[in-house]
Amino acid sequence: MTKNRAKEAAGPGTFDKVLVANRGEIAVRIIQGLREMGLRTVAVYSEPDRTALHALVADEAVLIGPAAASESYLVAERLIEAAHRTGCGAIHPGYGFLSENAAFCRAVEEAGLVFIGPTAESMEIMGDKLSSRRKMMASGVPVVPGTDQAVRDPAVAIGIADGIGYPVLLKASAGGGGKGMRIVRSAGDMASALRQTMGEAGLSFGNDAIFVEKYIEDPKHIEVQVLGDGLGGAIHLFERECSVQRRHQKLIEESPSPSLSPELRARICEAAVQTARAVSYRGAGTVEFILAPDGAFYFLEMNTRLQVEHPITEAVTGVDLVHAQVRIARGEGIGLRQEDLRQRGWALEFRVCAEDPSRNFAPSIGRIDAMNVPLGPGVRLDTGIYEGFEVPIHYDPLLAKLIVWAEDRPRAIARARRALGEFTLHGPTHNLPFHLWALDQPAFRDGTYTTHFVETSFDASDWQPELSEADREALIAAAALFESGRRAGPAGGAQGDGGDSGCHNWRQAARRAMTGHR
Amino acid sequence: MLIRKNYVVDVGDRRHTAEVARDGARVELRIDGGEPAPAVSLPVLGGRAVSVTVGGRRRLVHLTAADAKGGLRATLNGWPVTLSVMDELRAQALEAQGPAAGSGNLTADIPGLVIDIRVAAGQAVQRGEPLIVVEAMKMQNELTAGVTGTVERIAVAVGQSVNPGDILVVITPANSDQSV
Repeated sequence: MTKNRAKEAAGPGTFDKVLVANRGEIAVRIIQGLREMGLRTVAVYSEPDRTALHALVADEAVLIGPAAASESYLVAERLIEAAHRTGCGAIHPGYGFLSENAAFCRAVEEAGLVFIGPTAESMEIMGDKLSSRRKMMASGVPVVPGTDQAVRDPAVAIGIADGIGYPVLLKASAGGGGKGMRIVRSAGDMASALRQTMGEAGLSFGNDAIFVEKYIEDPKHIEVQVLGDGLGGAIHLFERECSVQRRHQKLIEESPSPSLSPELRARICEAAVQTARAVSYRGAGTVEFILAPDGAFYFLEMNTRLQVEHPITEAVTGVDLVHAQVRIARGEGIGLRQEDLRQRGWALEFRVCAEDPSRNFAPSIGRIDAMNVPLGPGVRLDTGIYEGFEVPIHYDPLLAKLIVWAEDRPRAIARARRALGEFTLHGPTHNLPFHLWALDQPAFRDGTYTTHFVETSFDASDWQPELSEADREALIAAAALFESGRRAGPAGGAQGDGGDSGCHNWRQAARRAMTGHR
Repeated sequence: MLIRKNYVVDVGDRRHTAEVARDGARVELRIDGGEPAPAVSLPVLGGRAVSVTVGGRRRLVHLTAADAKGGLRATLNGWPVTLSVMDELRAQALEAQGPAAGSGNLTADIPGLVIDIRVAAGQAVQRGEPLIVVEAMKMQNELTAGVTGTVERIAVAVGQSVNPGDILVVITPANSDQSV
């Protein structure tokens, strides 16, 4: 089918086939949502992702280049070309990669395709910390006290810091992901800190604009999901708390936040709606705030994409955010009324990453040798992997997300413990045990944890529980009988339900496993 | 016919003995010289897990081989545990070879790109000293010497891709006179 036919058949804003310009679990989740709406799906993949789950589950899949993201998932022209070649009318960017790239958004729209996301203009305003800060100040959304202009002169910076009080944070306007930030605790440290931050920002982001704001000690990270119609109308889908982080990357998220009173929740959600309206936001977005211990909250930034942690909002509100994105992109409006939305129950999300918590969360890769996933009431697993899949070295270590929902927070925690206990993943080292550990920490259980939770509570050398004697016995028995059965046939087959073929498989599997399992 | 066999099982850093006595379909297990208890193990989940019943308690233990030398990856109640199992005779033979039997070779544990080499051939190194930096998943991983000794040879160059098991640095362990 040619691009022209696809476009002629469909009016403006309508499409029946969508290219998903992403990989891994988010590409799979978007494909699922599109398929439920009766849309056809096209995946893109790099060479090592030829057999990745997202490329297998889409209706069609297009090879877009070699392993390096800069030669595949980040090449706008190849993605647009693939969309034309397969007759797609729209592109969904997912998160990461080109999802918040205004030039990509423009190129997609100029190519006559629908971009399932916000406008390039909103991305540009929100992509720059200083411009978004100015916009929010003008709209009456609270921002952290500080400057709305770049600061180059240490004397000026000291003057500002004296006004708002130490400690202050120097922040690169173009920064992100925790890079290009420095805490300054006294006037004497200002000159060198400013010089270093400007140098880093210039090198890393090609823009050395630095601004000064008050450093909030022991903050919590609260964010609000919004949907905008692109015409100035916007609603919120309540908050998520994402304070369990390492190196500014979130590990566990929950909704609702255990830190908000109904009154504070109403105010913070209203501020998020105001933010979305200020830029006539279109589609799904997230407004991030920091919450100070005294209950004051401040605008941090707006993420102009679908978030990794969107499923917990779906769990408590019952709204499918990918469906909502598609409806808005079709020009059908938000399709939901604020007064109809409620938070029901409690949801937690655990990011399952190929990384070793004992080695400073260093990444790990390899083949998924065994995978047994949790199921049952209130459990959702968004995943991009399967047994036998080789986790590639080139991309994000996120393998899957476990989401649990229950009637309230204590029950959600109990359910999470049950589900994490059922989750087996052999191959790369992963952080599932970290999540089991976190669930037992007093600061997590009572909800008082802050963004410093991991650095203050987690000791890489001493966090795994002692094995109970009964557990140790079970492991010794399993290992000895495994080894014994490998030579002598099935061990203790007295129950007999394994049958001959079962025993055969067992021996074969053991033999294959013991000889390098490939 | 009754067949008895002894195994050595390492769970974390503790070593245990397990005696498996088989009489047809009946199996008895004696752990660390304790009382023998009837044991049943059923391979399940396509052979990747075993349902073990010892002394009336049933558990599901996931097991996959980590290497060809008896190393196993196990998961019990969501917690991964490193195990190794071998028959007693083999364990005794290995022990007789002494602690220096393990070579000082540094091997890659993940695929990646060598971006820095911090030592040269002939250089003396201490256990734990950083030798090579391998970049994987946009993270730099410092690989350190497993033994104190002398660098015999650097087997890779900066810019080279490496795979798990590839030898990176050959080290002759110090006081190798301890080996029998």
